[in-house]
Amino acid sequence: MMRKVAEVAGRRLTLTNLEKNLYPSYGFTKAHILEYYRRISPFILPHLKGRALTLKRYPDGVEEEFFFEKRCPSYRPSWVETADIPQHDGERMTVCLINDLNTLTWVGNLASLELHVPLARADSPETPDAVVFDLDPGDQADILDCARVALIIRDLLSGVRLTGYAKTSGQKGLHVYVPLNRKEATFADTKQFSKAVAEVLQRNYPDLVTAKMTKGERKKKIFINWSQNDASKTMICVYSLRAREKPFVSFPLAWKELEDLAGRGDPKKLHVLHSEALRRTERDGDLFREVLVKKQKLPYL
Amino acid sequence: MKNRRSARLPAKLSPTRRDESAAQGIWSGTISFSLVAIPVQLVKAVEPGRVPFRMLHSRDYSPLLRRMVCPKEGKIVPPDEIIRGYEIGPDKYILITDEELEAVSPERSRTIEIVEFIDMADVDSIYYDHPYYLVPAKGGEKAYRLLVEVMRRTKKAGLAKFVLGEREYLVAVKSSEGALALITLHYREEILSDEEIVPEEGTIDAEEKSRLKKIIEGMTADFNPDKYADERRNKMTKLLRKIAKKRAPVEAPEVEEAEGEGPVDLIAALEESMRKVKKNR
Repeated sequence: MMRKVAEVAGRRLTLTNLEKNLYPSYGFTKAHILEYYRRISPFILPHLKGRALTLKRYPDGVEEEFFFEKRCPSYRPSWVETADIPQHDGERMTVCLINDLNTLTWVGNLASLELHVPLARADSPETPDAVVFDLDPGDQADILDCARVALIIRDLLSGVRLTGYAKTSGQKGLHVYVPLNRKEATFADTKQFSKAVAEVLQRNYPDLVTAKMTKGERKKKIFINWSQNDASKTMICVYSLRAREKPFVSFPLAWKELEDLAGRGDPKKLHVLHSEALRRTERDGDLFREVLVKKQKLPYL
Repeated sequence: MKNRRSARLPAKLSPTRRDESAAQGIWSGTISFSLVAIPVQLVKAVEPGRVPFRMLHSRDYSPLLRRMVCPKEGKIVPPDEIIRGYEIGPDKYILITDEELEAVSPERSRTIEIVEFIDMADVDSIYYDHPYYLVPAKGGEKAYRLLVEVMRRTKKAGLAKFVLGEREYLVAVKSSEGALALITLHYREEILSDEEIVPEEGTIDAEEKSRLKKIIEGMTADFNPDKYADERRNKMTKLLRKIAKKRAPVEAPEVEEAEGEGPVDLIAALEESMRKVKKNR
C-alpha cells in the first residue's frame, strides 16, 4: 500500500492508497479526489462548517459497495472537531464536523466521496437554516423537467416575497434552497411550508408534479420531496462530489442559467463535472453564499 | 394528512416522572471558575403538580385553539401581521421591531462562569426563583463530584450570570444531596418593597416573647416533605380514575391539518401567487 505523509495547514496526515482509481470508467484516483476537495475547500467549507457530517464511503470505488457512517470514527485524529448530538432514543452520538481543510482531507482519505449534512447546525439541531425543495424526477422524467418545476417554484416563492437558490443534486435532480437563518425557524414550519408549496404545485400542474411519496405516482413526473425538511434528514452538500460513473458535483446554478438551459433542451448541460466546478467557482465565487446569510421569514407560519 | 388526537387517559396520571425532554437537557455547556471547567447539562428539578385539562368544544369535542383576534375587525390576525408595542398610556404604544429587540437580547451562554462564592445562608429565600439540576457530561464526573463535596463542606454557593432562553439570569450553583443544583435568583429590583408590611416598632413584652418562643420550640420538627401531600392533586387523580371506569372517553373528530392549524392563509397566499405565475407564463 502506498502511503504519503502530507502536511496540511501545519498538521501531519497520513494519506493512503492515493493511486487507487475510485471512478474506474472515468479514471479519477483518490489523489484526484483530494486535489478536488483541496481546491474547492474555500467554497465548500462554509457550507459544511458546524454541521453533523454523514460520511458515504466508497472504499473500493463508485462501482463497488458503499456504506454510510454517521458516527465519527473513533480512530479519528485528535484535532478533528466533533459534536455530540441527541438521537431518537435519547442516546448521544459523536459526529464529525468538517470545519477545516485538514478534516476535509482526512474525510476524503477515508474515501467518503459524498458529504451529506443536515439543514440545521449541530449546536441547534432543531433549527433549520433553510427550507429545501428536493426535486426528484420519476421514470421518464428528466432534469429538464426538474428545471421547469424549479422555475415555477422560484416564481411562486417570489409572489410571497421569498428568494430561493438552486443547485444540481449531482445526480438526476435539482434542489431549491430558501434561506431562513432565523433562530425562530422550526422543522415543523419548514415541513409544513414545503408540503403546502408541493401540494399547490401538484394541484396546478398535475401532469408535471407530485407531492406523494408513493413510487407509482411518480412516473413521468417530478416528485417534490418535502419530507427532507426534517431534523433527521441530510442533503448532499453543495460542491460535494457524487459517486456516479463520472465525478459530477452538486453545483449551484443562477436562475438565468437555468432558464436558458431549460429553454435549450439539453439535459447534459445540467450535469457539472469536477473540472467545470473548479473553473466556475474560481471565476464566479460561491453562488450559494446567500443560502448561509440571507434572513427570510416564512409567511403565515 | 389526517391528524389523530387521542383522548387523555387517566393512566397518564402517574407520580411525577422525568419525561424524555427533561432527560435530554434544557442546555449544555460548561461550568467554570478559575482553572476549573466542568461539562454539564441543565435539567428540570421540579415538575408542577397541576392536573392539566384541555378545553374542548362541547358539540364535537374538538380541542380548542387559542388564536390572536383583532377586536376591531373581529378576525384572526395572521402571524406576519402581528407586531410588538410597548404601552405608554391608554391606547398609546411605542412600536418595536424584532431587530431592535434582538439587538438588546443577550448572547446565548456557553458557560456558567462563577464570579464569586457566597454563603447560601445569606440569600433570603425570597430571592429563589426556579430550581434546576446540573448533570455532569462525559468526562466531567470527577470534577463534578469534587465540587459538590467541597461546596457541601464549606456551605458555599457559586454566583453566576447565565443566559437561558431570552433572559440573563443571576444564578446560584449549590450542592444538593450529592448533586449540583442551579437556582435562578430574582434581581434586587424584582423584589417588592416590604416597607408597608413591616409594622412600626413598639415595645415587646418579655413574658409574651418567651411564651411564643416556647410554643415554637414545642412545635419544632425536622423538615420532612414526605409528610405533606398535594391533597387536591390526589383527589383529582382519584376522581379521574373513578370517572374513567364508568364513563367512556369521548373522541375528538379527525382534523385536516390544513384547517385549524393556520396554513389556510398560507395556502390561500400560495394559490394567489400561483394564479399570477400562470397568468404571466
